[in-house]
Amino acid sequence: MVIKKFLKSKYMVNIVWILLFFIGWEIVALLVELSPEIRSPEKVLPHFWKIIASVFDVNKIDGENTAIQLVLMNAKATLIRSVEGFILGMIWGFILALLMNLSGIIEKIAFPYLMLIQMIPILGMAPIILAITGDINKSRIWIAAILTFYPVATNTLAGFKSVEKEKHELMYSYAATTFQIYTKTLIPAAIPYFFTGLKIAAPLAITASIIVDTLQGDLGLGCLLSQSLKGSMTRYVFWQIVVISAAIGILSYVLMGIIEKIISPHNRLKKN
Amino acid sequence: MKNTIEKEIVLNNVGMEFDNGTQKVTALTSVSLDINKGEFVSLLGPSGCGKTTLLRIIADLLQPTSGSVEIGGETPKEARLKKKYGIVFQSPVLYDWRNVRKNVELPLEIMKVPKAERKERAEAMLEMVGLKEFMEHYPRQLSGGMQQRVGIARALVIRPEILLMDEPFSALDEFTREKLHEDLLNIWRKTNKTIIFVTHNISESVFLSDKICVLSPHPGRLSAVINVDLPRPRTIEIKNTPEYTALIAKVRNSFEGV
Repeated sequence: MVIKKFLKSKYMVNIVWILLFFIGWEIVALLVELSPEIRSPEKVLPHFWKIIASVFDVNKIDGENTAIQLVLMNAKATLIRSVEGFILGMIWGFILALLMNLSGIIEKIAFPYLMLIQMIPILGMAPIILAITGDINKSRIWIAAILTFYPVATNTLAGFKSVEKEKHELMYSYAATTFQIYTKTLIPAAIPYFFTGLKIAAPLAITASIIVDTLQGDLGLGCLLSQSLKGSMTRYVFWQIVVISAAIGILSYVLMGIIEKIISPHNRLKKN
Repeated sequence: MKNTIEKEIVLNNVGMEFDNGTQKVTALTSVSLDINKGEFVSLLGPSGCGKTTLLRIIADLLQPTSGSVEIGGETPKEARLKKKYGIVFQSPVLYDWRNVRKNVELPLEIMKVPKAERKERAEAMLEMVGLKEFMEHYPRQLSGGMQQRVGIARALVIRPEILLMDEPFSALDEFTREKLHEDLLNIWRKTNKTIIFVTHNISESVFLSDKICVLSPHPGRLSAVINVDLPRPRTIEIKNTPEYTALIAKVRNSFEGV
């Protein structure tokens, strides 16, 4: 019975998913290894266990740090910048959604610009931001913020607009003030939408900081990534970065889901 | 007899035209009607007859394009600002993120009623609608009928003189609806509210009302006012009486041009 229940649970889906992923990885890695045309298989896809093994490699790469120490140090720098940018973008995004919902004119004016900012490639935007701020670290935070605020603003705005007519009428019948309408009805109703925006934005903010890192050498996963590709250090530094960035991206998404569940416990309840 | 009856709502030649951009649509034309204090009145008619429009005009959610409305001698706006009415919609319109008690407390929060009093009043209302054990539940854990009871408790918690109900039971199954009919009549008897009840269900209006205002469409107009003189308190058994059946037939025959 316990086994049957377990097989049907959502954990089972996750376990199957993870298993299939690694089996698929190993099959491809094996094919790459056996392929006569590919001379350095670790550049295409090494075995996953080899990446794990490289984590425990005690060889000092730059004279001071092992591969994993170097990767984690840079990951920390990237993560701090993306979190700063993410929080900034979240606040801007929310305030902009609020302003757009309060005023149709602001919405009409701001929306095309929002779209426009999204259409400029990050690599094109980064030098412009760098020229404005004059500081690579600040511009990395800015880029993360810019990428965060669009999904947050549009989703939160959609949340405000999703409130049904009757709730507005109810508030009107109670003679509620605009402030009360927002605090009692619109903002709580928009919370799930706000979190949808955050879930989209969190991995984006991290990816963006990594990409912008590559522009200028400094501490950061992107910088280390470009160095590792130049062949000055073992290829496994590159693979460690790939795995760790992916893990941070997924974790950031999961973290947003957890925070949402803590904030709105009613969403956990099953429908009767 | 006559001087003990107090007029609560007076509609005088109320008309409503909507302008949808290309043409004017007449939703209501010259509706005149008196509703007495403590009366249970149904606005009955098919879709497009303007019954909901009329309710919304009384609730100050719409401004009539002609005629006037008086609620206890005041305009609908004054009545709304003084919280003279509570409103119940077709869907329960509950707040998912608030538990049942907090949902009922919502209008009191808006009115800045102190916390302890809010709680007390909400609990009293929930007890009256039979949901005391479900106070800490969230709306999505409740059945449709229970959700609508929460909506009624929320409308009554502000102690209005009038209860406006817009097809409140039309989304419920027949069994739940019959139960809620009896419960609503009990609540009405206990609270002495004036109830205006919009419906398209003939038997529902006959079972509940003192007075049925029959509205006809194209254009929306008041085509008949039928008094329901069935004895009170009413129970489901009354539906088996010939008087009830006769009234249903009378109401049905009063429709024009549907």
